[in-house]
Amino acid sequence: MTTATLTPRPKTKVEPTMPGAYAGKLLRVDLTKRKCWAEPWSPADMRDWIGGAGLGAMILYRETARGKGNVSWDHPDNRLVLATGPLAGLPVWGTGALTVVTIGAMTNGPTSTQANGFFGANLKYSGYDAIVIQGQSRDWVYLYINDDQVELRNAKSLLGKDTWETQDALNRDVGMGGHHLSVYAIGPAGENLVRFAAIHGDYGHVASKNGCGAVMGKKKLKAVAIVRGTQALRANDPRGVVQAADDVAHDLKTDPSAKSLYEWGTLPGVANLGKMGVLPIKNYTTNVPYDDLTKWEAPKLRQGFDHRGHQCNACGMHHCHMAVVQSGRYKGVMVDEPEYEGWSGAGWTLGATDKEGVAWLNTQIDRACVDVNEFGWLCGWVMEGVEKGWITPKQLGFDLKWGDIQGANRLLQMVNRREGFGDLLAEGVKLAAEKLGGAARDSAIYTMQGASPRGHDHRGRWDEMLDTCTGSTGTLESGVPVHVAELGLPTRINPFNGVEVATQVVGIRGRRHFEDSIGICIFTGRTRLENLCRAIEAATGHTYTVKDAMRMGQRTAAVFRAVRLRCGIGVDREKPSTRYGSTPHDGPAKGQAVSAQWEKMVDTWYAGVGYDRKSGKPLPATLKALGLDWLAKDLWGSKA
Amino acid sequence: MKVLKLIPERCTGCLRCELACSYMQTGVFQPSKSVIRVSPFEGHTSYAPYTCTQCAEGWCMTACPVGAITINAAGAKDVLDDKCVGCKLCTVACPYGTMFYDGSTRKAFKCNLCGGDPACAHACPTAAIEYVDTDTVDWIGDFAAQRFDTVLAMEGAR
Ligand code: SF4
Ligand code: SF4
Repeated sequence: MTTATLTPRPKTKVEPTMPGAYAGKLLRVDLTKRKCWAEPWSPADMRDWIGGAGLGAMILYRETARGKGNVSWDHPDNRLVLATGPLAGLPVWGTGALTVVTIGAMTNGPTSTQANGFFGANLKYSGYDAIVIQGQSRDWVYLYINDDQVELRNAKSLLGKDTWETQDALNRDVGMGGHHLSVYAIGPAGENLVRFAAIHGDYGHVASKNGCGAVMGKKKLKAVAIVRGTQALRANDPRGVVQAADDVAHDLKTDPSAKSLYEWGTLPGVANLGKMGVLPIKNYTTNVPYDDLTKWEAPKLRQGFDHRGHQCNACGMHHCHMAVVQSGRYKGVMVDEPEYEGWSGAGWTLGATDKEGVAWLNTQIDRACVDVNEFGWLCGWVMEGVEKGWITPKQLGFDLKWGDIQGANRLLQMVNRREGFGDLLAEGVKLAAEKLGGAARDSAIYTMQGASPRGHDHRGRWDEMLDTCTGSTGTLESGVPVHVAELGLPTRINPFNGVEVATQVVGIRGRRHFEDSIGICIFTGRTRLENLCRAIEAATGHTYTVKDAMRMGQRTAAVFRAVRLRCGIGVDREKPSTRYGSTPHDGPAKGQAVSAQWEKMVDTWYAGVGYDRKSGKPLPATLKALGLDWLAKDLWGSKA
Repeated sequence: MKVLKLIPERCTGCLRCELACSYMQTGVFQPSKSVIRVSPFEGHTSYAPYTCTQCAEGWCMTACPVGAITINAAGAKDVLDDKCVGCKLCTVACPYGTMFYDGSTRKAFKCNLCGGDPACAHACPTAAIEYVDTDTVDWIGDFAAQRFDTVLAMEGAR
């Protein structure tokens, strides 16, 4: 067996010994040839790329090139990487994480998108750090992993099933329940290649960005099911892991940046962001809440439901709940408690006021399995279109008004099955809006790269708009500004000063890719980086400083950038759509014009990250400072 | 005597107790090596931890033909590795299913209350496991019955 080497190295170099906490192998799956095999990967690559996003970026870079360009999302040579990291499966809070890396269907460029549950832990206990899927199957299959037993099984009986039904059926088939079997699957949307289809797992966790579900659908892979394996994880310093885990937990419970997340998950976002003008209301047509925000405070959002904590591997956050609706139309129905993103995408963006209805719709979105953000932008846009007349009920097949939950679900199912007008909508709001043109185009929310913004009104949150537009992963790339003092950044900035905003985005760049590489949830990753570094050192024996962690993330960003450019997504597309980049005419952010400062913001960003403003390429000096001399040579040739 | 009191209503199924246990008992992180096990109810939405109640009868001790099970300083029944011959009689004798067998070591293993400082009680983020001085009882029976009723009601609502 050969060892995979991702980074070119001098031949004479002695490979270091195996670090702790890794499983040590990648599971390779070729769907065309129907072959599965294990491949060890090198300790040196573990040091450089850690896992998750870092590992995935390198696999895309090495394996998806085609001539001078890149394979497209629907090409058999596209890779679908489901990767964990060294912390997955250890008792640090939130360590069931998996990162999906692929060439996504929305931008037709690279993506890295995270989900949680137990998949990452189960995968590690089965002896693998990541699954790398290539090729395209002729018939529908699912991948079954039970320690060394790895099989591609017939998935015909699962076709048409939504994600929860798929997991129910697989649990029944293998006679398991609870977290003994972790299942990540696509729903009907992924089967029908809806461009913003997502991958869902373990009842309520979604890798949602950039159409990774469509990639899985194109490969005719319905699901990946992993039995909780029996391989032991040996940490370099197990006692140190337990200590670092306790420190992480303490930070999350007590630090102001994470405390409310610990207590309420992402629920407080609804009322809080609403007050700041950052809650997206009715497709950005207003910034003024149409309902009393006090009714949407976190404790109120848990009223009316019978709640059960449904946390991920080793996680103590009061996040991720299952709930049974207690009254009304949906009485007795089990739903997954919506995230902030669900309350916004399946709620406020659509003008909804019925909370049980929003929770129900949000679960339908997970089950059909599309990205809740993109669905919100799409459905809100259709609702506005029907109101204003640039989409007609006749085109749609029915009337759809603001706040109509059942109507929204009808739209979802049309998209899901690509029925009628749903076929165009299944392309995502950008392509649908550009096809209709005129007022329809000018009212849609998207980036020119094709990425779906997260569920905010970014006209009041410029950092995320800039990050989504300039990023290389079809979503937020840099991270969230927590514990910024640790990075030497000011703790407060003027959110409407473009230069300050861009400087902050530059300063936090690297954090997200690092978090997405180590096998931890991005929410429990909101501890200080210093704690995460200690956890990794105890787990693996590799020492990381905060600076090393950020550099690792920046290296990953540079590799993603190289893949993105190879995919033909240039600097000219780093812009918001007309509506997305417009100026709020009411509400707390009234009159704040991001467009007036956009060029300056982007200039500041480019100068800060050390990329070439014209070509978009990371500059040779930047790459060399990151230790990526080989990439400098690849991108700049003799000019490097 | 101090025992592990289990409060299933608080459990979220995060399995952190299993990991802490496997580390304390074996030095590695692997849930199947744990002697506290978390079971799902209602399919996938409720969980409860379960481990040896240190029952007064001591069925495992009575069954062991070589006297490999003793009572340790914390009052817990404990398997003496050098005496255990791996015959598995104790796993059959235990009516609670909390005596386990490790195929790799060929020994029986069970909860020994970590010698008086149980790792699972420390690890549980929701305090669903407490180490307290109380009579030991069937901690999860009522909970299981109630959850089962909910499933039936939900199936009716579907
Ligand atoms: S914070 Fe939420 S998503 Fe993250 S690991 Fe914990 S329960 Fe899961
Ligand atoms: S650690 Fe606590 S909450 Fe988590 S599974 Fe164990 S008993 Fe349940």
